[in-house]
Formats: sequence, C-alpha cells, structure tokens
Amino acid sequence: MKGKRFLLWFTLASLLGVALSQQTPFQQRVSQAIQSGGPEFQKSMQQDPDQALCSQYRDKLPAELVPAFLERQRKLIKYPADGRLMGDWKKGEELFTNPRKGNCYACHTGDPREAGAGNMGPGLVGYGARGTSEAVVKYTYDKIYNAWASMPCSLMYRAGYHGILSPEDTAHIVAFLLDPASPVNANLKR
Amino acid sequence: MRKNRLYRVLGLALLGFALGVALTQGQQELDPYKEAERQRELFRQTAGILPGELYAAQGEELFHAKRGPKQVSLEACDFGLGPGKLEGALTQLPRYFADTKRVEDLETRIVSCMVRLQGFKPEEVKRDEVKALVAYVASKSSEMPINVVPRTSQEIAMYNLGRELWYHRAGDRDMNCAICHEAYAGRKVRLSPVRSPRQGLSNEWPAYRFEADKLYTLQDRIAFCYESVGIHPPDYYSEPYIALSMYMLAEATRGKNRFTEMPGFTR
Repeated sequence: MKGKRFLLWFTLASLLGVALSQQTPFQQRVSQAIQSGGPEFQKSMQQDPDQALCSQYRDKLPAELVPAFLERQRKLIKYPADGRLMGDWKKGEELFTNPRKGNCYACHTGDPREAGAGNMGPGLVGYGARGTSEAVVKYTYDKIYNAWASMPCSLMYRAGYHGILSPEDTAHIVAFLLDPASPVNANLKR
Repeated sequence: MRKNRLYRVLGLALLGFALGVALTQGQQELDPYKEAERQRELFRQTAGILPGELYAAQGEELFHAKRGPKQVSLEACDFGLGPGKLEGALTQLPRYFADTKRVEDLETRIVSCMVRLQGFKPEEVKRDEVKALVAYVASKSSEMPINVVPRTSQEIAMYNLGRELWYHRAGDRDMNCAICHEAYAGRKVRLSPVRSPRQGLSNEWPAYRFEADKLYTLQDRIAFCYESVGIHPPDYYSEPYIALSMYMLAEATRGKNRFTEMPGFTR
C-alpha cells in the first residue's frame, strides 16, 4: 500500500519535473510571477493549450496553424439532444442580456431599444435578414457555442465550450437573433 | 383654417422641444466623460471638496505622523528622487530600488517604507492607509507627463513580464488585456470607452470612482479588470500588478501621455 502511494507520488513528481524542464527560463519566470499572485490567481490563470497558443502569437495565429486550430475547436461543439438549434427567443433574450450568462450587450447591439450596448463586436440589429435556412442556423449556433471554431483567438469567448451556455441555452440565443418575432428583427419588413 | 395651422405649428414646436429634451438627456447619460465631469462639478458645488482630495489629506497626515514601532514619519521615504522628494514621484514609478533590490510601484514602495522605516510587520500594514498615502503622494504629480522608461536589467525584465501577462489568455471568458485594450481600443464595452496604454490607459489612477464611491489605486483597478473577466485577482503588492503597471505606464510614456488631475475623478 505504502509502496503504491510512493510510486504514485514519484510518478507525479517526475511528470512535473518534465513539464517544468520544458519551460524556457522566461516562461519559468512568468510562472513564478503568476504564483506570487496567490493560489487562486494562479489557478484561474491556468491555460488550455489553445489559449496558450493565442497568447504566444499575440492573438494573431500564423496561417499554417489555423486549419488544425479550427478543427480542434470544431470538435468541441456539442448540440442539443433533440437536434433543434433554434429555441425560444424570449429565453434567448434573457441569456443574451444576463452579464453572468451571454453578456452579449457588452460588445454587440441586439434589441435596438437597448441604449447601453457596446460596439466591440459587429452590431446585430436585423441579424434575422439572413433568413432561417439550416446553414444560417448552424453557423449562428456554432459561432455562439464556440467562437474560436470560426475565428481563432477572437475576442468573442467560447461560451458553450466553457459551460457558460448549455447547448439548449445556445439554441435560445440563436432564436433571439433569427426569429422574425424577436425585437432584434423588429426593423425588418414582414 | 388659421386656427388649424396654429395648432399644427404649436404641435410641431412641442414635438421638437420634446425631441430636444430626449436627445440631450440621452447624451448626458450616454457620454461617460461628460457624466464624470458633471458629477465632479456637483461635488465641488455641494461639498466644496472632491473625495479624492479628502483621501489625499488623510494620506498627508499619515505621511507626516510619527507612527509604527519605531515612531518615525515617512518623510525619509525615497520614491526614487531622494528621501522625502514627492514632486513628480509618481511619474517615474514603477522603478528599481537598490535598498529592497526589486522593482516597486507606488503602492509597494509605500509598504516597503512602512516596514523598513516605521518597523511595521508586512501583515500589519492596513490597506486603507496605503490607499490614502497613495492618494497623497500621487497628488504631487497632478497633470505631469508620465515618465516611465525601463533602463536597468530588472526594469526591462519587469516590463517584459508585464507584456507577457498582458497577452495571457485565460479563464472561461478567454480573455487577456490586449484583446480589448489594444485590438479594439477606441471602441466601447457597454458605455465604457476602452483605451490602449499608448492612448494613456492607466493615467487617471489613483482615482475616486463615483459609481463605487471608493478610491481605486491602479492595483485596485487592475484587480477590478481581472474580476470582471472571471479571473481571481492577484494578492495586493504581488508581482503581476507591478509588471502590468510597468508595461502600461512605459507604453503610456511612449504615447507621450500625462497624468490627469491626481487623484483622478472617474466613473
């Protein structure tokens, strides 16, 4: 029993050693600085490999790395069990607005009556002009669920991948953007 | 017929007036800089003094009082221009200090002096006192040009560290500083205009934030930024703050920016 535990710790320690030895002195210095910020900061600064890649290339991925990056991100997209990618626009409106959920107004317009919308991202008033073809619905769903599956390292975060939006939540936001009855599309002629 | 026209003209005038009111009120609410200016004026009119000035006055008292186990003031504290020299001290911080053998920002330097000169233990140093002292020392650099140029190897290393953290994407919002404060500088998150360091980001701290009714130092403001993107902020006085401050203020220097009125007044 004791031997087994020792073996486990030994393996972990040597794995850690290998991981650390792969860091350049500068990377070690960065890790040390992050560690000095305290354990909780250190924990939330941990990166997945693609976050690390975006940081390394200052959010501008070299062309040769793009196809594999997009492929990895596409594989992370999950869909609702019932296969419906367009849900209830009213639920979508709440999720789009909620700062703890989509928080979409931080960067996008949506309902044109919302005065405090940001403009970091493209405006979405009248987004439904694209119609509701299968391709449009899927593109919209994928973009919301995992923005990095179409644009590597974009400012838009991967809401579905990180579990901030469930597949069903994502479908509701798709409806808020595409449903002709949604206030987003009030300006379109019916 | 005539009456009809009169009504029409009156109606139009009313409509125009209502529209004018609606538009100007909307603007008042929508421009954060104008709103800050308005709030500042209201403070001046009703209280006669700005909250930031009160913090600075409190800091001035703390600075000159004989305190701590050694019962001395902070008058011998060297912020990089010589003991007790406060004019423009903030403009050249962070910088390397030979006595502590590390790069320190204003906040960390104040803690070092409270520990080394006054004999406080690091854990005894009260955050509120540091903030008041920051406000006081900063008030001696009001509207001065920022002048942070990394020269020593330690300062250059700290700048590089800051730049690395600036681009470090993490958390479940996939954020780093650069993706907003560089790639999209000049645009707005909600109503807040976003600036890049070259455009002077960080030139208003320490500042009184009327929306929070609190004094925010630059470390407080960086912590607030991390929090708002879902990353637990670093412990106060730790290296990430010093590194990021070094990066931002050195870039602000390259952009030939000045500090605002110090302490600042902002939303």
